[in-house]
Amino acid sequence: MSEHAFHPLVKQLLDGDITLADLPAELRAEGEEAVRLLAGVDRRPVELPAVSRRVMREIASRPARSAWRRVMQPREIRLRVRPWLLAPALAIAAALILWIGHAAPVTQASFVTVRFVLVAPEAREVSLAGTFNQWDAHATPLVRTSPNGVWTATLTLPAGQHQYAFVVDGARWVPDPGAPAVDDGFGRRNSVLTL
Amino acid sequence: MRSETGAADGDIVRAVLAGDHERYALLVERYRDRYARYAARMLGSPDAAEDAVQDAFVRAYDQLAQCKDPDKFVGWFFLILRNRCFAERRRSRTETSLEAADEVAATDRTEGGTETAERRRALQLALLELTPDQREVFVLKHVEGLSYGEIAERLSTSVPSLKMRMHRAYDKLREQLRDHT
Amino acid sequence: MIISLLALPLTLIGMQQRIAERLTGRVSPDVAALVTQLGTAAAARGLPVDPMIQKAIEGSAKGIPSERVVTAVRLVAMQLDTAAAALREGGLVGDTLMIAAGEFAITAGLSANDITALARTKASASALTVGLRVAGTLAALGVPPAETIGLVSATLRSGQPAESLLLLPAHVQSEMAKGITPAQAAAGLERAAAAQARHGPPPNRGQPPPHPAPPPHPSPPPHP
Repeated sequence: MSEHAFHPLVKQLLDGDITLADLPAELRAEGEEAVRLLAGVDRRPVELPAVSRRVMREIASRPARSAWRRVMQPREIRLRVRPWLLAPALAIAAALILWIGHAAPVTQASFVTVRFVLVAPEAREVSLAGTFNQWDAHATPLVRTSPNGVWTATLTLPAGQHQYAFVVDGARWVPDPGAPAVDDGFGRRNSVLTL
Repeated sequence: MRSETGAADGDIVRAVLAGDHERYALLVERYRDRYARYAARMLGSPDAAEDAVQDAFVRAYDQLAQCKDPDKFVGWFFLILRNRCFAERRRSRTETSLEAADEVAATDRTEGGTETAERRRALQLALLELTPDQREVFVLKHVEGLSYGEIAERLSTSVPSLKMRMHRAYDKLREQLRDHT
Repeated sequence: MIISLLALPLTLIGMQQRIAERLTGRVSPDVAALVTQLGTAAAARGLPVDPMIQKAIEGSAKGIPSERVVTAVRLVAMQLDTAAAALREGGLVGDTLMIAAGEFAITAGLSANDITALARTKASASALTVGLRVAGTLAALGVPPAETIGLVSATLRSGQPAESLLLLPAHVQSEMAKGITPAQAAAGLERAAAAQARHGPPPNRGQPPPHPAPPPHPSPPPHP
C-alpha cells in the first residue's frame, strides 16, 4: 500500500459508514485529515438560467421533425351523397358519408382528402369554416358544381379531430345535416370530422 | 416524476414527440439546475457546465425518439449529459486553476471564510486530476448525496466496483492535496 | 392589453405570448386578454390550450358577444380539467392530445365516468386518444353513452389498429341509413369486435389491399 493510501477504516469514514469517534487513537490524525478533505466539497447549487432560452432557441431553428413524422399519400375519401328531402323554406340539405377506403396506417402526421358537399339551391354563396381554417367564413368557399345547387369543396386535412360548419350567404351558420354534431356553446351545432 | 406544476415527464416527452415542441421547455426548466452542479464539479467551472448542460438538452431533444421509456426521461437525460461531460477535452491545469480561482474570488465576496474557499479550490483542482470515472463517483456521492446503491443503478454498475473506484479516488485526492497545498 | 408578467416562469411567458399571437386580430382585445390569462393558467396545469383558443376564435367569427365567448372558453377549460381528472381516475396522466380528445368527448355528451372507463382499457396512449375522439363522434351521432363506451372499449381491447376505430362512426351511419337505431348499430358492431377478439379477423371481404408502408426514415447515428 502506498504511503498516500488512506487506511481502510478511514475510507469507511469517508464513505460515511463510521464516524471519527469509531476510529482507534492511532488513526485519529488521519481521520481528521480525511474530514478536512471532505470540507472542501462544494455543494452549493449552480444556477444556469440562460440555458432554457438558448436551448429553446436552438430547437426552434430545427426543421419539422422528419424522423418520426411520415406524411402518407393522401387517402381519397369516396363519398356517397344522399339528397335529403328538401325543406323549401330552408332549402339547405346535404348528406355527407365518409368511407375511408384504404387501410393505410394512421399516424399523427397522416393527411386525408375530404370532399365537403352541401345541397343549397337558393344560396348565392357557401363557404366552409372550422377548426382547420380559424373559423374564417371567407377562407374556404365552396364551388357550385351543379345547377341543382350542389356546392363542393375538397380539402386535405391532417388526421385528428375537427369541427366545422357551412356559412351560407356570409351570415347563416349551418351544420352539416349528415354529419355527427355537437353543441357549439353558442346555441348552435357544429359538425364533427374525426380523421 | 411529477412536479407541482402538473405534467409528468413522460407526458411532456410524448407531447413533444407528437409535435408540441414548446413543451420541451418544461423539461429544461425542471432539470436544468439539478444537473448544473454535477456538470460544474465534473468540468471544473460554471461556464463549462453551462455549455455542457445546454448541449445535452439539445442533444436529448434531437434524439428524443430514442428515449425508450419517456417516463424515465431524467435518467436517460443524465446519461446524455454524462457522455457530454466525459467527452470534454481534458483542460490544461493552468486554464482550470485560473477559472477555479475566479470562481473562488466570487465566493469570497459573498461568503465569509477564505479558508473554506481555499479548501474548495484545492479540492476542485484535485478532482480534475482524477479520471472522469473516479471524479464522477466522488461527485455523485459527496456533492449530489447519492448512495452507492443509487449510483450503481444510475450507472448500471455494481456497488463493489464503485467502492473500488471511490477508494482509489480518495487516495489520489490525498496525494494531490498533500503535494499541492 | 395588460397582462401580468409577474411570477411566471420563462416557459409560461413564452406560452402566454404565443396564445396572444394566435388571438390577435381574430378576437376582440377584451376576449384576447381574458383568454390569454385562462390559457396560460391552463397550460401551467398541463392542459392543452388549443381547444380554448379555437373556441374563442370560433365565437368571435360567429359574431357572438364577448361575454358569451369568454363563458364558452371557461366551459372548455372546465371540461379539460374534468377530462384530465377522469383520465387520472383511470390510472393515466394524459398528454395534451389525449386530454383534448377527452374534452371533445365531454362536449359530445359523455361523462367523466365514461372517460375513466375507456382509460381503464389500458390501451396505448395513441389508441386511447383516437378512442376518445371516436367515442365523442359516436355520441354525436346519437349512440347512447353505454353503447358508445361498450363499442369503443371492445374495439380497443380487441387490439385492432387505430383505423378500425376511425371506421366505427361510418359503419354506424351506414347502419342508421338502413333504419337501424344508433344504439342497435353500435351494439351490433360491439358484438362483432368481441367476436374478432376471440376468433381473429374475418377473411378479407373484397376490401382494397392496404398500401405498402413507406420505408422507415433512418434514425440519426448515436452520439458518442
